[in-house]
Amino acid sequence: MAAKGFSYHRPTSLGEALALLADLGPGAVPVAGATDVWVNLRAGKLAPEALVSLRNVPELSGLRKTEHGLVLGACVTHAEVEDDLWVAEHFPALHQACSGVGSRQVRNVATVGGNLCNAAPSADSAVGLLLYDAECRIETGTGHRDVPLTEFFAGPNRTVLGPGEVLAEIRLPLPAGRTFAGYRKITRRKAVELPMIGIGARVTLGTDGRVAEARIALGVAGPTPLRVRKAEERLEGEPLTREAAAEAAEIAAQEAKVRDSWRGEAWYRREMIRVWIPRILDEAGAWEGREGEL
Amino acid sequence: MERITIRFKVNGEDATVAVAPHWNLLRVLREELELTGAKEGCGAGECGACTVLVNGRAVNACLYPAVEADGAEVTTVEGLAGPGGELHPIQRAFVEKGAVQCGFCTPGMVLSAKALLDRVPLPSEEEIRTALAGNLCRCTGYAQIIEAVQAAAEELSR
Repeated sequence: MAAKGFSYHRPTSLGEALALLADLGPGAVPVAGATDVWVNLRAGKLAPEALVSLRNVPELSGLRKTEHGLVLGACVTHAEVEDDLWVAEHFPALHQACSGVGSRQVRNVATVGGNLCNAAPSADSAVGLLLYDAECRIETGTGHRDVPLTEFFAGPNRTVLGPGEVLAEIRLPLPAGRTFAGYRKITRRKAVELPMIGIGARVTLGTDGRVAEARIALGVAGPTPLRVRKAEERLEGEPLTREAAAEAAEIAAQEAKVRDSWRGEAWYRREMIRVWIPRILDEAGAWEGREGEL
Repeated sequence: MERITIRFKVNGEDATVAVAPHWNLLRVLREELELTGAKEGCGAGECGACTVLVNGRAVNACLYPAVEADGAEVTTVEGLAGPGGELHPIQRAFVEKGAVQCGFCTPGMVLSAKALLDRVPLPSEEEIRTALAGNLCRCTGYAQIIEAVQAAAEELSR
């Protein structure tokens, strides 16, 4: 059982949820799938006066696909992303990241927005979303503001969300051009495991065949999920060669702020970054039938 | 203590329960409705012993706020057998393939398997392993459990 002494609210519209959070004040905690919140309640790490459940708020649900990209309601579950073939085709790294979280039971309720708001350095979905230049729409109660995901995290388990604010949507533009992308989570067991290191890469080619956009993002490589910009810069503007990928991976391994922890050691995390960035691009088909072009 | 009245369906029957905000669905099922098939193992969403179906989806009842069951359709292992008590094909396959030893994980395993087969009638072994990854077994062995799900899939698809 969770800790006692809180009230539970189930608003059925975004307006009602924001009004409740404003009325109840800082002792109120928003909750979506509850897979993190409930564990923290039980462990005594969280003792809210009130929980405001967002799972019945229609404005926060559903995936919307447009010609420009994808809009994820913050309460879209990991399983909804996992089961969506369009997402798997157009945003494969996000699909892979969401499909590997917890168990199917967890993915059936745990939301992508919740994963971001919990702001664990290991958040799988965050790495996938960083690769696609995700932007967060935050409802403030009096309006909204849009924050790039790169600026959403404020530290371990902290975000820029102010009291009473709600993450409403995550918007991803479709990459414009031939794209190779993937996410790999390095774990000690095959499932129901947090990453020892989470590694994501996306390369989008321009019409000239050179790399127009490179994104390399990591989990458990710093206080928040992050992008490694120097590694990305190594790839941009150049032809996508195996050599360039290996160099970018080396730069990423150096740029990562990995540490020793009980889950894994820094040297091994660095080594995995080095090995897996080129391998992710290879598995995504970056050099398939192109060796002659390079 | 504050109580919130929830109304939902369990195994096709209406249930009305006054729950406290900190109760999970597992407590309502086991203590209030005396459906003790779902077990409490880890209490933290890792072991899957408490797996039930909510609106057809496998969830960990230990992490499911009881209040959120309001209006839902919940299926527990008690709801799988036919009216005469004959076992569901998944249950029968578990018995026939030796996929039950101590039985503690079995209700959760069976419901995860049901959620999978309702979604993917003839899953690959990989799909079965993925769907059951959140259900830990400490004695029977996973090989027989996978075999049972494959046998059940074949029978249900016949």
